[in-house]
Amino acid sequence: MKILFGILIFLIAWQIFAAILNVPLILPSPYLTFKSLYNLALQQETYQAIFSTVWKSLLVLLMVIAIGTPVGFLMGISESVYQIFRPAITVVQAVPVISWLALVIFVWGIGWKGPVVISFLSLLPISIFTTAAGVRSTDKSLIEMARVYKVPQVKIIRTIYLGSLVPFVFSTVEVIIGDVWKVIVVSEYLCGSDGIGVLISWARQYVDVPRIYALTIIAVTLGIASERLVKIAFKKVLEKWQMQS
Amino acid sequence: MADAILRVENLKKNFGNLSVIDGWNLEIERDERIAMIGPSGCGKTTFLKIIADLEKDFHGRIEKNFERIGFVFQEPRLIPWINVMENLTFVFPDKDKIDFFLKAMRLEGFEDYLPSQLSGGMKQRVNLVRALIADPQLLILDEPFSSLDMPVKFAIIEDINKLRDQRKFAIITVTHDVKEAILLSDRILILSKRPSKIIQDIKIDLQQKERDISDTKFIQAESELMKRIFFLSR
Repeated sequence: MKILFGILIFLIAWQIFAAILNVPLILPSPYLTFKSLYNLALQQETYQAIFSTVWKSLLVLLMVIAIGTPVGFLMGISESVYQIFRPAITVVQAVPVISWLALVIFVWGIGWKGPVVISFLSLLPISIFTTAAGVRSTDKSLIEMARVYKVPQVKIIRTIYLGSLVPFVFSTVEVIIGDVWKVIVVSEYLCGSDGIGVLISWARQYVDVPRIYALTIIAVTLGIASERLVKIAFKKVLEKWQMQS
Repeated sequence: MADAILRVENLKKNFGNLSVIDGWNLEIERDERIAMIGPSGCGKTTFLKIIADLEKDFHGRIEKNFERIGFVFQEPRLIPWINVMENLTFVFPDKDKIDFFLKAMRLEGFEDYLPSQLSGGMKQRVNLVRALIADPQLLILDEPFSSLDMPVKFAIIEDINKLRDQRKFAIITVTHDVKEAILLSDRILILSKRPSKIIQDIKIDLQQKERDISDTKFIQAESELMKRIFFLSR
């Protein structure tokens, strides 16, 4: 109920600012925006664009977890591996999206691969560093306990290290799921052939500002909904990990 | 002592320039129970870690005549995301033995519980079961009762003594509590401040039935020991 009230206040404030500013090219009114959103809802290309953005986002998420987790794990258990990989990953993290853009356009041109690769490279360091931090924060007293009882190393890795990692993998997914939409939409805008970002790019060319706002609402809704879904899905599983021994 | 399970000669341990253990000598018989009492930071836990091979950097000679050790840690050190049975099979996958000790420690029916679902006393019992299932020849107790209330603590001590009478393992207990020390030992070693030395080796001459906190002889022994510790600490 409070959320609905918050949304209502936001819409009223938006309407007031739009009326005061009175420049629909910068800030269209909520009415114009929602009218545009309604029109988008009637068009098949909107659903195709949403589908395209969704699958690219899921693919990026999968790739980031599949590659980031093992690399981060190795960096977490070995200081040498951490020191070897850290400079390269820090560089990848610091490279601006625009530099990746130039590179992927040279290699693949306009298409789905560019946005996927750019998003993957932008989000991979988060996954790697979060996983490494997770492994490094493994409760050393549990490792010590296992050593006293001469538990085999494989079992220690499987039960203690990988077990400690679960909350970090989940929190990586939570962080990435919020960011992946933004990165994918920007990359689509810059070098994509389809998706919400491409529709925003076309709307910009036609100076259709209400449509840009309406597409932004779709992207934001997708981001918030997926974040909430992931939180709900993980909550039950993570209860075990959030409790102390 | 011919049948010593542990023989320590001139043990010294430093952390950098800080000398913690300064020339300990002691022997523990195969089914003997000893307790160690000393001020914080005098190297009691470090000594236990040396025996358990967790600390390998020391001077002196240690002769270990045992293969299996059980270590009851101060904190339960249970893996939070797996249940009681999984915590136990993690160190020793013999379910029959686990069932036996779970029953002996009155934990039957809690196999599927997560550590967070157990009380402090129950967690410490699981910690103890984990130490016992490997059939230890030497059981180490590192202040395992410090966070437990009195009735729980004494009930667990009684269980340990019963099992020890059946299985005849040696026990080393580190504690700050004189009552615990008397209940769990045949000899009590008093340690000095850091750099620590063993300054007294006191034999506890009590029959098992007199190891009851309300028994006159127990109260007498406790008072004697308190006086000695007080005198030595001055």
